[in-house]
Amino acid sequence: MDKNPYEILGVQRSDSAEDIQKAYRRLAKKLHPDLNPGNRESEEQFKQVASAYDLLSDPEKRARFDRGEIDASGAERPQHEFYRDYAGAGPGYHPYTTDSGYADIMDSDEILSNLFRGARTRGRGDGRNVQYKLTVEFLSAVNGATSRVILPDGSALDVVVPAGTRDGQILRLRGKGEPGIGGGEPGDALVEIEVKPHRFFVRDGDDIHLDLPISLTEAVLGAEVRVPTTTGAVIVKVPKGVNTGRVLRLKGKGVVRPDGSQGDQNISLKVVLPEKIDPDLEAFAMNWTAGKAENPRSGMEG
Amino acid sequence: MIDRQQFLVRAQLEIETLDVWIKEEWLVPREDATGQEFSDVDIARAHLIKDLKHDLGVNDEGIGVILNLIDQVHGLRRTLRDLLHTVRNNTDS
Repeated sequence: MDKNPYEILGVQRSDSAEDIQKAYRRLAKKLHPDLNPGNRESEEQFKQVASAYDLLSDPEKRARFDRGEIDASGAERPQHEFYRDYAGAGPGYHPYTTDSGYADIMDSDEILSNLFRGARTRGRGDGRNVQYKLTVEFLSAVNGATSRVILPDGSALDVVVPAGTRDGQILRLRGKGEPGIGGGEPGDALVEIEVKPHRFFVRDGDDIHLDLPISLTEAVLGAEVRVPTTTGAVIVKVPKGVNTGRVLRLKGKGVVRPDGSQGDQNISLKVVLPEKIDPDLEAFAMNWTAGKAENPRSGMEG
Repeated sequence: MIDRQQFLVRAQLEIETLDVWIKEEWLVPREDATGQEFSDVDIARAHLIKDLKHDLGVNDEGIGVILNLIDQVHGLRRTLRDLLHTVRNNTDS
């Protein structure tokens, strides 16, 4: 340490021991690393202040320093470990860390509270969380439903599957886990949702994807067709001359998001020839000169 | 794990002081059939309590308040770190 300990504490050589303690405490309250867990510089500054105070708070050392018998470096503190290096470090169990500074924010959002359930415990004797699996139908997950889980002790647990639940999502049922011991809180039931695939709907994020077959006639001439959505059929206008792969978007017919907005349903059109080609169609194709000349693979050469 | 005797030595505490701190819930050791068990976190926490009490001149009422707020800050820091981690992973993929 090169700086003069009086300067570090901001005191005069003539100041009393009480003044020095007061000055030290004022600085230490500001700089103590455990009161600044996110500020790396505070540790270095605090060490300087603490060393200066070690020297000046000891009347004998202070007198020897004043007479020039020792320099400031004689007062280095032994290595001090700070609580902050343990409290927040690494994954795993942190007995003191608490969520009471933000639990309300998390509770308002099921996704967040599921993500961070690991960080959310305090105290001893709390009951353990219990995990279950629940398989739900595709449409129940998209539209929301209530499902029943039978627990190992024979009792039933009604699980509200909110609209928009994803495959693999974990629903937390507060207090439905193992009971706590000695006044501890009961644990939570964590229900992992498995969503069964649907016959023709596929979920893509908040959107629903659907392959929709249309006939040759509908593709060429355009048509109004009935299209299933997750909430019932709707009539959709297929424009004239559409091809396989063309996507029609039904805005807001997708999955409900946590904020209440909705994804879309994307309809991918697929032109399908009749099962059996009848003589009329065959005759038409035979006589269709432009059709024979057309090469849909022209882009694939080379 | 650290037993009661080792803890007193490493934290440089008197046994009466330890009992008061546990009663105040400033320290919460694990309890099991063989007695109390401490960890490195508890030792670091004991040093913090001593810093607050002796170096900073905080009175006993103040220490409980400060520890509670520090525990909240660390809970927030942990969650913030998890959140950033999750957001980063989702952005990458």
